[in-house]
Amino acid sequence: MAQRRGHLHLLLPLVVLMLFVTGCPKRPATTAASAPAPSGSALAPATPGAPSPSGAAPSSPGGTASPATPAPATAAPATAAPGTPPRPSEFSENPNLKDVYFDFDKYDIRPDDARVLDTNATWLKSNANNLVLIEGHCDERGTNEYNLALGERRAKATMNYLVAQGIQANRITIISYGKERPVCSQKDESCWQKNRRAHFLTKGR
Amino acid sequence: MKPGRRLLAVLVAAPLVVAAALLAQPPAPARSQAPDVLLNVIRSGTQKLNLFVPDFTVTGAPDTNNLSRSLADVAGNDLKFTNLFSVVGNQPALPAGNADAMKKAWTEAAAAGAHAALLGVITPRSDRLEGEMRLFDLTSPEFRQIGTKRFAVVPSEPRRLAHKIADEVVFQFTGEAGDADTKIAYVAPRGNTKEIYTMDYDGVAPVPLTANQSINISPRWSPDARSLAFTSYMRGYPYLYRLFAFERRPVQLLAGFLGINSSPAWSPDGRQVALTLSKDGNPEIYMLTLATGAFRRLTSHPSIDTEPTWSPTGREIAFVSDRSGPAQIYVMDAEGANLRRVTQSGFNTQPRWSPKGDSIVFTSRQGSHDLWAVAPDGSALRRLTTGPGDNESAAWSPSGRHLAFQSNRSRGARLYTMLADGSEQQAVPNATGEAVSPAWSPRLP
Repeated sequence: MAQRRGHLHLLLPLVVLMLFVTGCPKRPATTAASAPAPSGSALAPATPGAPSPSGAAPSSPGGTASPATPAPATAAPATAAPGTPPRPSEFSENPNLKDVYFDFDKYDIRPDDARVLDTNATWLKSNANNLVLIEGHCDERGTNEYNLALGERRAKATMNYLVAQGIQANRITIISYGKERPVCSQKDESCWQKNRRAHFLTKGR
Repeated sequence: MKPGRRLLAVLVAAPLVVAAALLAQPPAPARSQAPDVLLNVIRSGTQKLNLFVPDFTVTGAPDTNNLSRSLADVAGNDLKFTNLFSVVGNQPALPAGNADAMKKAWTEAAAAGAHAALLGVITPRSDRLEGEMRLFDLTSPEFRQIGTKRFAVVPSEPRRLAHKIADEVVFQFTGEAGDADTKIAYVAPRGNTKEIYTMDYDGVAPVPLTANQSINISPRWSPDARSLAFTSYMRGYPYLYRLFAFERRPVQLLAGFLGINSSPAWSPDGRQVALTLSKDGNPEIYMLTLATGAFRRLTSHPSIDTEPTWSPTGREIAFVSDRSGPAQIYVMDAEGANLRRVTQSGFNTQPRWSPKGDSIVFTSRQGSHDLWAVAPDGSALRRLTTGPGDNESAAWSPSGRHLAFQSNRSRGARLYTMLADGSEQQAVPNATGEAVSPAWSPRLP
């Protein structure tokens, strides 16, 4: 027991230190068509190689105590650039990009919201030096963990729509806040609808 | 049969014909079957054991902090909370080492209807607080001692002494320790931030465990009660971390991949953490081996797969998936095979496998949220809460007798507890401010 903790106690502060020294060597969340990202993050020890197939025996080669070397990027799209997604705090509010909203428990883009996204896409094409962060949110109904996943679905659906409109995937980062960051707190549909949203922030390259 | 268990068997089994035969059995080593079975009928209305608890006797040093009354009160409340005891307290402390005074006190208590008496003796030392509990059977003519045990705590944590004494009383009568020497961690929403706090299970002495001015959610205690896994946006994105609750050690990053890193669940042996990662395209359940840092993927489906919870055997994991439409509870083995569906209808999340292994509590949404329970094979579906408001985010006590949960039935979201069958719902006393997402610690080391 003590031995295991000794491992961890040395290892993880070390990789955290590496984070600060080298920056996060993660790729931005990019095109929906991309293969699974290489698990080469130095942030957390990870098994190199592909995830194990469903129901199969563990694929871990017995584990590695050192940060994993980047796995060969399988079918990585040419447009995806390796690098760190900027931290959310580096992005700013942008009144040119309007929020889009979703039905309860849903993540599909509604027709009116598609029009909003078309307008957002136009702006993004005209301002190609901007990176964009898409936040996915849920209303306060529903439980925390499931809503984290639903919020991510909303952000991804929004991203996929923009990519289909021609926005380069490597300009886009997504983040889910689930139900953790509401813009209002009344317990009525008017407020709940406002919270079921995708929100946009931008940052110059 | 130990005197304590026979005593409780007498009271609890009185209306049951079967018990008469069991009472005639010769003394058994350790635990006797019948009283435990009877005690596990945890329903309101079952006769309780009347326990006499005089103020604790403080010896060897002046009682400058009035531990005599305060610790007896804490222990008495712990025992009332179990719903097994009716406690008579606020009685004068017995003089130390005076057998005649003790006999007189027990005689009077027995005449007033007490079935048993708890004597606590506290001895403050310079570097620790010592305590001894002695339990007496007041239905036996000689007031036979049922059991005794000694404890020691640091002087800054006197309440733990009372909790340990109460837990020992429960052990003497039921064969399993009580849940009083535990903490409940929770999330305290404060404006734009959510920080993780811990407090005694009875709501006293909240202490912040995070102070990073960001959103911190989903705390989960490790089985050794030394650390908590949690998800935090402290570095901007939702990463999974581990903090040490009682040691000065830095927070460790457990998973910082693209996407979601959340929903931690410690394996019963503490060596692995099941968690949700969406780095490979959508939320899936993975297994992190702490010693090696290796991740192994357990699910592989385009649906949302999240909220793992372990069976106490460590062989199975229940989780949430919306692969069939609305969110439902599924079970798979710890390798990700033998998948089967547990809930059939509704919208169900937040599964929590009981420490006894025989039920999974979960949150069902039918407009508002309520807590339900089901056997792991999908049978014995039963409702635990019926509003008002939303009742969700259950957490089991170590023994599996109680659940903590979050409810907004009164103003704002607060923490409540109830027995495993849904009875005795009550707000956690002493707690102030909004609190959500409770995590009940194991018994403290």
